[in-house]
Amino acid sequence: MSAPGAKSPAPPSTEAGGYQIPSLGYRILIAALGLIPSFFLLIGLPVAVLTFVSSHGVALPISVDAVIVWGFVLLALGAARSILKPTAAYGPLSIATSLVTLLYLAYALSLSPYRLTIPGGSATVAAGYAGFLEIAMIVPALGRLAGVLTTVEDARAPKERLPFDYPA
Amino acid sequence: MFSGFDRFSRVRHAFSQGVSRVAALLVPTHRPPPAIYRAARALRRLGTVVVVILVLFAATVAYSAVEVAHSSVQSRALTASFAPNATLEISGSFAVSNPGLYPIQGVTLTARITNGAGVLLGTVGVGPKDIDPSATVDFPIAVFFPVTSAGPAGSLLTVDQYLDVTAWGNLTYAFLFPLSVTLNETRAWGAPFEGFHVGVGTPAGGGTTVPVTMTFANHASSYDSGTVTFTLESPSYVDCGSGMFQLDVPPGGFFDQTQNVAIATGCNLTGGSVLSAYSGSGGTTPLPPEAIP
Repeated sequence: MSAPGAKSPAPPSTEAGGYQIPSLGYRILIAALGLIPSFFLLIGLPVAVLTFVSSHGVALPISVDAVIVWGFVLLALGAARSILKPTAAYGPLSIATSLVTLLYLAYALSLSPYRLTIPGGSATVAAGYAGFLEIAMIVPALGRLAGVLTTVEDARAPKERLPFDYPA
Repeated sequence: MFSGFDRFSRVRHAFSQGVSRVAALLVPTHRPPPAIYRAARALRRLGTVVVVILVLFAATVAYSAVEVAHSSVQSRALTASFAPNATLEISGSFAVSNPGLYPIQGVTLTARITNGAGVLLGTVGVGPKDIDPSATVDFPIAVFFPVTSAGPAGSLLTVDQYLDVTAWGNLTYAFLFPLSVTLNETRAWGAPFEGFHVGVGTPAGGGTTVPVTMTFANHASSYDSGTVTFTLESPSYVDCGSGMFQLDVPPGGFFDQTQNVAIATGCNLTGGSVLSAYSGSGGTTPLPPEAIP
């Protein structure tokens, strides 16, 4: 039983077309929850590994600052994309997110192979990871294609996808 | 009757017919999502599946790589021995274990051995070999140095020295990760006839025999077993006499023996030389000639 005068959360907006768009607050909450695994994957884990490697005197393949900057840009784009999903900005934001991801992967690709000298100086190791990154580039390529399709759909028939994205 | 309409159209249609909105929404519709929407959704789902697969793959590769790194390479001690055709053979092996989940493919190793002056003494190559998960593969090594006195490796018989070993290894881990390793090491070499010297004395009292003394230290890791034969040669290349020493010198041992050798009548050794050769289980190897003062 709610206290008298307590504010109830804003109800989701219901459109006559048979879809129910969650409120902005709810979408922000969902985007924030989605940031948790993304933050772990894009920033937390890589920075932890790089810091561990650096503490053992091994040169880093990529700077910690670069990982943080690229990671936050991708997180911001991903969150904006999630929040603006019901709008026409969703498609272009999907394209932008995919392009930034592609640039990030291309930047990492340019740093392959990773050359390091084993502490003590008697051995040098060069580890290539270009093949893995090239396969990983499939993901933003697919995302960019999906973004283009969504942009075209939104331009051709605005709100056509909303009943399927947010069924009532 | 509403089949093929979307919900928006259905509700408008229902209103126009005097049916409540709720009732209209309850009527099932079979309208599928537009093709472009389905295509975009399929691409996004495919992308998610690829991300999940790549993350799982990367995580298992990292785990496996750590496991492989923890299982150090097992190397057996290198042994040096004399081989036929006046060569010194250094042989041994090393074993690589792969406790990880992915194969190690195309393992190759090439090593180049030079003496302190940078002169190439020999090369050795192993592989390519594949190491399956949970398997251990043995890599035999054998490098041959021609130890004729004219060759660059001749000094290995009689001079302790430092050898530079440069090795290059290549492999591919988990199908996608090529790895190359370069190793530089300086190894101390213990000569089997370190300080080899054959001294020829003067005939005592104008006799026909001379004392011949042979000294050396065995700094190698194996026995010097066999014989050393020597010939005393005059300046005009005439064999004036010969002899033989029996050897059984352990690693770290010292050899110092003298024997009297009969000299042929009329032979003058002054300015000549002593030619020696070691004969063991691996054949005959010439030792550096020595001048007779």
